[in-house]
Amino acid sequence: MEAVNPLILIDEIEFSYPNNTFALRNISLKVNKGELISIMGQNGAGKTTLIRTLNGLIRPSTGSIYIKGEKIDSKSVAELSKIVGIIFQNPMHQLFSNTIEEELKFSMKNLDLSKEEIKQKIDVILNKFNLEKYRDRSPFNLSGGEAKKLAIASIICRDPEIIIFDEPTLGQDAKEIDFFLELIHNEIEKGKTIVMVTHNIEFTFENIPRIILMANGKIIADGPTEKVLTNEFLVKKSSLILPQIQQFKQGLKEIGIKVPNEIFKLNDMIMFLNNYLKIKLSKE
Amino acid sequence: MAFIRFNNFSFRYKGNDEYALENINLEIDENKFILLAGETGSGKTSLIRCMNGLIPQFYAGFYKGSVEIAGKNTIDTPISDLSTAIGIVFQNPENQLVAMNVEREIAFGMENLGIEPVEIKKRIREVVKITEIEEILDKAPFEISGGEKQRVAIASVLVLDPKIIILDEPTANLDPFFAKKILTMLKKIQETKKISIIISEHRMDLLVLLVDDIILIHNGKILAFDKKDIVINSEIFRNLNINKPKIYSLFRGLDKKNQVYDKIPISIEDALNVLKKYT
Amino acid sequence: MSLEFLNAFKFLRKDTIIHRLDPRVKLIFAIVYTINALMFTEMIPLFLIFLSLIPFILLGKLVKQWIKSIRSLAFLFIFIIVINTLFITNNGFSFSIAMIIRISIMISAFSIFFLTVDPNDLALSLISMKIPYEFAFSFSLAFRFVPTIANEAQNIIDSQQSRGYEMQKKGIINQIKNLFPLLVPLIISSIKRAFNVAEALESRAFGSKKERTFYFSIHYTKTDWIFTFILCFILLGLIFIRFQIIIMPEWFKWSLPL
Repeated sequence: MEAVNPLILIDEIEFSYPNNTFALRNISLKVNKGELISIMGQNGAGKTTLIRTLNGLIRPSTGSIYIKGEKIDSKSVAELSKIVGIIFQNPMHQLFSNTIEEELKFSMKNLDLSKEEIKQKIDVILNKFNLEKYRDRSPFNLSGGEAKKLAIASIICRDPEIIIFDEPTLGQDAKEIDFFLELIHNEIEKGKTIVMVTHNIEFTFENIPRIILMANGKIIADGPTEKVLTNEFLVKKSSLILPQIQQFKQGLKEIGIKVPNEIFKLNDMIMFLNNYLKIKLSKE
Repeated sequence: MAFIRFNNFSFRYKGNDEYALENINLEIDENKFILLAGETGSGKTSLIRCMNGLIPQFYAGFYKGSVEIAGKNTIDTPISDLSTAIGIVFQNPENQLVAMNVEREIAFGMENLGIEPVEIKKRIREVVKITEIEEILDKAPFEISGGEKQRVAIASVLVLDPKIIILDEPTANLDPFFAKKILTMLKKIQETKKISIIISEHRMDLLVLLVDDIILIHNGKILAFDKKDIVINSEIFRNLNINKPKIYSLFRGLDKKNQVYDKIPISIEDALNVLKKYT
Repeated sequence: MSLEFLNAFKFLRKDTIIHRLDPRVKLIFAIVYTINALMFTEMIPLFLIFLSLIPFILLGKLVKQWIKSIRSLAFLFIFIIVINTLFITNNGFSFSIAMIIRISIMISAFSIFFLTVDPNDLALSLISMKIPYEFAFSFSLAFRFVPTIANEAQNIIDSQQSRGYEMQKKGIINQIKNLFPLLVPLIISSIKRAFNVAEALESRAFGSKKERTFYFSIHYTKTDWIFTFILCFILLGLIFIRFQIIIMPEWFKWSLPL
């Protein structure tokens, strides 16, 4: 199939903050519709600066960004945020309404929707996120995990084509991370494109097919997760560590158990070990 | 005698109907490295606040039972007093750094306690070496990175010479490489000074290798408090919806007949030792 | 204009003789120059006082910041000139020039103070003037958190803009309503922050009944005394001249014929 025009095209952009530190240096990348990508790298490498260029919060000093084939430098943040929805780390930075329902209404204010449409969307979203029981409650009464859900809900109800998360799994326990995983799979199925800035190596290794590694404002790697996160040099350069399963694979090799390259996820490894041990144990 | 002792302690925050902590019975000694694990909202932070008197003195609410630190009751012993025995490093280092530069930050607690400047100088030098922050002594809080802020917060608590240091999600905002460094540093401090360190964390892969004991908390109740191996191999641990170490999940996922271990491996080393027999 | 102006009061760490002075000397400096400025309404004396600030600015290597602060007051100055020239019949223009110089002196004096005094030392100097520790400490705590809160405000603006919030609105009432999505999260997070800080303070024995010691302290050195004397001398000299106004030379009272 011929490659369509990329959904997002970043062409040699640069940006530095007023105190003269270079946040982004000569960044170029392409994102196709339907992709699921992690951006990782050391704190201060430029990850959050990069995502902010996609909805206009930050305007690069040189280079251009194209979304859906159009240059975005003349578009306002309000316009761009209809296509690109960013969910930032701290949900408390958004909440201000009297009820959750009003919070969601506020999110849909500049979308030119009719009252009925808004009401419908709110019903659907509250259901999807299991927040229906809190509809009339104050957003300040929510627990940390639920507030985070509300923050995500308030962007998803705007139906942006590109959804960007800033540290979505921070401080979350297993069931919250499961919910998040299900959510992003649902959205990908609906045809959305998802990008996340994260420190969570294990989550990325298991679930995210493409990773962009940044260091010192530059992209030092951009490719399939299983290749990038198993590369010791790259991992070290971005202050990460090798995923557990990868380290285990290396250890197995050293004791004489060779694991095929394509096995790197938890479930695949379980299957491999099951087969391996079944054979070994039946020989005894 | 246990250094921290919870005697059937329950606590309900003012304005809440539900109990944040229920019937807590816990005895924590010195010289242990302990992991405190539980789902979000399980009461980890509330439990931590009890250990230096913030609950019930700073946080209003209704309590039953008592908590003793080195024999002193946390209900009427001033927090400033308890702070000499228990040090707490909270979740967000930004909100713990109150001085305009690192050196003053570390001196702060000692100044409050009326310690003589000569002694303050000595202790600063010692603690700065352990936490490796010599280079940033004259920097302001907004000039240092997240990892450095965390180390400064740890240093400023360590310098008060507590017998137990508690950290609430210390690696949350850190790069994995620096997270490992800090946890290793804390382990070293724990072993050298023979104090206890309790860490509340969601990400367990690194930590579970370093700790001696594990406390499991759920819905405000203590489900387990025992040696690491015992807790990890328990059904309680298996059923809890917390992030489990990858190696644990791997071996737990094996078919029953392939579970060739007495104790489930949690480190890669353990795992390889088990499998060596089958090469 | 408005935010740039604040930069004229932000402490910058430098190693100059002015920076090394005890903060109390610099406070005296600001107060003395304010009194000096208020004592005169004539152009010439005010201008001379203004010129006498220059050595201090040069010694403190503060030229760039100082020029920025004066420049950002440009609008205010033009406003004063216009109003005074139109409405004051008796030499309005001269009067307005004199007023502008007066304002410049006072702003400059305090700007120099804030630019060269480390907020930590500020708290110490307040304490040495017998202000209770809790007040002095709250003061320095406020300083310490200014960059943090500014950062938080920016994050809040980013978060709300990402939800389609628009910064520009028409009409006064709309503009005020439009501030809620920014102010409410900022206030709430500041209150939460205050709680966290208080918690951390308690846990580091703040409020202990023991008598507090001070690791750092400020001392008056010979240089400090010299500067203090110079300032007192200037002040007394000007008071003398003010009250001996009859003996003031004619050119002192000169003003433009406007």
